[in-house]
Amino acid sequence: MTGITDHIPTLETERLVLRAPSRADFPAFAAYCASPRATFSWGQIGADRAWAEFAAAIGSWSLMGFGAWSIEDRATGTYCGEILLQHPAHFPEPELGWTLMEESEGKGIAYEAAVAARDWFTANHGDKSLVSYITPGNTRSEALATRLGATHDPDAPLPDGETANETAVYRHRRAA
Amino acid sequence: MTVTFSTPTLETERLILRAPALTDFDVLADFYASPRAEFVGGPQSRELSWRNLALEAGHWVLRGFGRWTLVEKTTQNPVGIVGLWHPEGFPENELGWDLFDGATGKGYATEAAIAARHYAYDTLGWTTLTSLIAIGNDGSRRVAERLGATYDSDFTHERFGPMQLWRHPGPEALT
Repeated sequence: MTGITDHIPTLETERLVLRAPSRADFPAFAAYCASPRATFSWGQIGADRAWAEFAAAIGSWSLMGFGAWSIEDRATGTYCGEILLQHPAHFPEPELGWTLMEESEGKGIAYEAAVAARDWFTANHGDKSLVSYITPGNTRSEALATRLGATHDPDAPLPDGETANETAVYRHRRAA
Repeated sequence: MTVTFSTPTLETERLILRAPALTDFDVLADFYASPRAEFVGGPQSRELSWRNLALEAGHWVLRGFGRWTLVEKTTQNPVGIVGLWHPEGFPENELGWDLFDGATGKGYATEAAIAARHYAYDTLGWTTLTSLIAIGNDGSRRVAERLGATYDSDFTHERFGPMQLWRHPGPEALT
């Protein structure tokens, strides 16, 4: 039977594996989406919307050649969250985003995963720019973007329909 | 190391059923922005239309099955989306169909759904299949009737509201 075949690469860092998301990851992802921690991303959403977001971030791989990885702790196998490269139609340029489970906070996990995802993107899609869209006041994400070497770009175009009060653009630096 | 996933291509007399693709976006966004999307959560923004297209592709990865974009052989245009669907919140595996503007009245939904149903029974080994039909979606109900499906029960969807669950003839009834 003919068809289309797509690939999701697996990346390894010192402490983490970035791998294709699976159905087993969804309950933790949905619990996050239903919690106040999702305020800065989608707002608190139910399982139906959460599944759509979870599946769409995976589908990005076949549409764009980049998409979401689940972050897994190499030592324990624990699901730590998601690192996401996406370029939906209402974004002016590709975005690096992160979703971290509460119990994985404070360990540098998002930083370690984001470095790997950013460097993979540069190596494989180096002709494209990369930003992170961050809600002003989301201090954890602002700090992570800064630690990644990204800088606030006040002149960058915003996602359709968004204002500077809602979204700040952090531009990632090109890898050497 | 990579994870590889595949979406098969099916062919009927007048249609190619292939994986959802980036090139489908404009016509899909037009569909979701139109009154025709009233029974599938629409009208919806381009942002949500993109999410829906990516969701179609991601469904294949998560479930191992999904919906295909229908391409009209004579024009090579995408004319609809039909296939096997089971997002979170659906009671059972579903056979679903959405036709874009200008593609109705030609029997395309039925033609594609028959191919998708054969794939479910013959390739995936499924033994039953349902279709959720929104109250008042008479066009969709007529497709279900043409496919030999019958009313099974009522179902209320978190977002789409009250719907009817229709059940298709099983594989033994179709051979």
